[in-house]
Amino acid sequence: MKYFPLILRNVFRNKVRSTLTAISIAISLFPLMLLYAFLDLQDDMANSTAQYNRVAVLHEGGLAGQLPIAYVDRVRRQSGVKNAIPMSWFGGNYREERTQFAQFATDPKVFFEVYPEFTCPPDQIAAWQADKTGCLVGTLLAASKGWKVGDKIPLQGNIYPVDLELTVRGIFDGPETSDRSWLVFHFDYFDESLKEARAPNAGNAGIIMLRTDSASKMSPVMQSIESSFASSDAPVKPMTEKEFGASFLEMMGNVRGFIRMTATAIVIALVCVAANTMAMAVRERTREIAMFKAIGFNQNTILGMFLAESVAIGLLGGLIGGVGTKFLFWYIDMSAVDPGLAMFYVPWRTALWGVALAAAIGLFSGLIPAWRAAHVSVIEGLRKVV
Amino acid sequence: MVPLKYNVRSLRARKVGSLMTIFGIAMVVWASIFAFGLSSGLDKTLEIAAEPLDVIVLRKGSTSEAVSAVTESAAREIKALKGIATNAAGTPLAASELVVFAYLPRRGAEIKVNVSVRGVDSVSRALRKEMTIVEGREFKEGVREAIVSRAMANRFQDLGLGDKFKVDGAEFEVVGIFEAGGGAVESEIWTDQAVLAQIAKRTGAMSSMQFRAASAADQERLINHIKNDEQIDLGALTEKQYYAEQAAQSSLIKFVGYIIAFVLTVGAMFAVANTMYGAIASRAREIGTLRALGFGRFSILFAFMLESLLLCVTGAALGCLAALGVNFLLGGIQTGTMNPGTFTEVAFSFDFGPMILLQGILLAVVMGLIGGFLPAFRAVRMKVVDALREV
Repeated sequence: MKYFPLILRNVFRNKVRSTLTAISIAISLFPLMLLYAFLDLQDDMANSTAQYNRVAVLHEGGLAGQLPIAYVDRVRRQSGVKNAIPMSWFGGNYREERTQFAQFATDPKVFFEVYPEFTCPPDQIAAWQADKTGCLVGTLLAASKGWKVGDKIPLQGNIYPVDLELTVRGIFDGPETSDRSWLVFHFDYFDESLKEARAPNAGNAGIIMLRTDSASKMSPVMQSIESSFASSDAPVKPMTEKEFGASFLEMMGNVRGFIRMTATAIVIALVCVAANTMAMAVRERTREIAMFKAIGFNQNTILGMFLAESVAIGLLGGLIGGVGTKFLFWYIDMSAVDPGLAMFYVPWRTALWGVALAAAIGLFSGLIPAWRAAHVSVIEGLRKVV
Repeated sequence: MVPLKYNVRSLRARKVGSLMTIFGIAMVVWASIFAFGLSSGLDKTLEIAAEPLDVIVLRKGSTSEAVSAVTESAAREIKALKGIATNAAGTPLAASELVVFAYLPRRGAEIKVNVSVRGVDSVSRALRKEMTIVEGREFKEGVREAIVSRAMANRFQDLGLGDKFKVDGAEFEVVGIFEAGGGAVESEIWTDQAVLAQIAKRTGAMSSMQFRAASAADQERLINHIKNDEQIDLGALTEKQYYAEQAAQSSLIKFVGYIIAFVLTVGAMFAVANTMYGAIASRAREIGTLRALGFGRFSILFAFMLESLLLCVTGAALGCLAALGVNFLLGGIQTGTMNPGTFTEVAFSFDFGPMILLQGILLAVVMGLIGGFLPAFRAVRMKVVDALREV
């Protein structure tokens, strides 16, 4: 530890260079944090839903298939099922424009039994349940659209040949990792509109979301549901909410792989930048290092000093880039880019991982220059004019 | 002017440092080109699909074929409209088509995704860019046979030649593989319309209608006519608009790509500045000598900016070569993602065309100019006497 002041001085000796290196590491860390936060958040969301023991029941043919609404009651009666609701994807256009926020027709009476993590003032819930055209909007969606209770939301059918006009009756909130950028409305209102328009797909529950009594009931419930509908007109495929979420990620295809590849390129570029700086620091100090050796410093001390220096620069960049990105995204509203990103934030573990990565990059990039510094021959070093 | 040779030699003299920087820049350019190539590849696929005179007719409010419906009577009425191009036999180039989903697993994956299956009629082929069967044969009418694109056959487990896949519980056999020079049709499975309609229990209405207008004026008139005719009561738009709208749905991928490229470029600028500062600091005496020899401030500034540019463009060239190399080795990087507008698979290839490579090189030029300016400026500001005195 007695070398600490010396190392610190070395770090700041060439201020321009150390600053440029730290900043270039910090800046390159920024997209890296963004990419990893994106992947981490997806995983976090998938994992956080696991505790609610929910199962999604789909048509065997996937999302495009249709499940009769009567299936909801049949599913609800299965033993081990706490409750079940239809979740019909409406996918309407808002103000003639294609929306990217989710709209689901569901059963308001038991919605919160299936989604207990969401909270909403009781009077708003009651108002929603009482108003057939009412809807409940997630906080993030409400904030990005500037909606408040009482606002009208006209939705033009895209999948279905009907237009709906919803009224915001309440705003629901939920934990940090939950998606709060969607809205729910009455299935009855939706279905009656379809019947009025004589749409062929009336009476279709879309997917059915159910919650089991406990985690251990999930797999028996899934098995019994699958077998009890096996010979019907619309055979079903139940999957846990986590698997269901994963199927959406799978739809993105190689995009996740592409993100990882880009991230790797960024890391390699970072190592090059940092290594370059350290190499310069060594070259410039050849004489000085020889002097150190001449007065009795051993190789390991010199090696350690240089490594510590490069780790310190990496760490500095890591703190600015990693923790800085985390704080930056408290202020940046990503929903302007894509409403699906309304809940984007950088988790602590991603930020800290970035800091650690930057330190590791410092260590790795310092290895060769530090080794070279430690092995400078005293005579050669002293003679050398840089 | 300071000869260029001087700068090249200077870079060579400090091999390790220069190589590190060049390599770093190459990685940055490589990552950026991949990001650009991904979003451009996706756009191009949809762009190729659009024929300028083609019109696509959908249900009012529908934004994609998959969720639209066009009744037989409306289709008949549209076919009878004047201004639709005809083929040699005098048949109007108008086809109503049925699009349904198959739910299939990608190769190497458990989870299934939606794939578009298009039931086509006899005119459909004439409305697409040349489709050629490269393996197997054409599907026969009236039986459960299908042809799939080469890209989809490569991406999906059950879509190889001779394989069987299910649509709504009914089994189809893949009898042919086609290629169409890119475009949206390469993300589709084609089969006989009547067979598909029967299986999907869709009678009386197809998903969409496509036709080719005889001229641009006819195109506009027909679109307005369809939109305003209460009997028809459908929406119509040019194919170009249709695919542009689909492409807009992938804005997220594009945004992520561009932000990565931008931020990395800024980061790389600092790296370049760093290298150049180092280069200039260790050459103070040389610079003093050059000045004493009579080279002006401007030519020194110019020389160092050039050196920085040289560094960056070399890096960029390496990055481009690496991207092209990977692309060549893999025989074109084919990938696919979900079209968020339709929830179906789009297969596409990365685009490493000249425009994309140029963008990568431009990034490097920007890096070199901005990153090199301050260090070069510093070199210029040094007093000759001080510079010569420096050790």
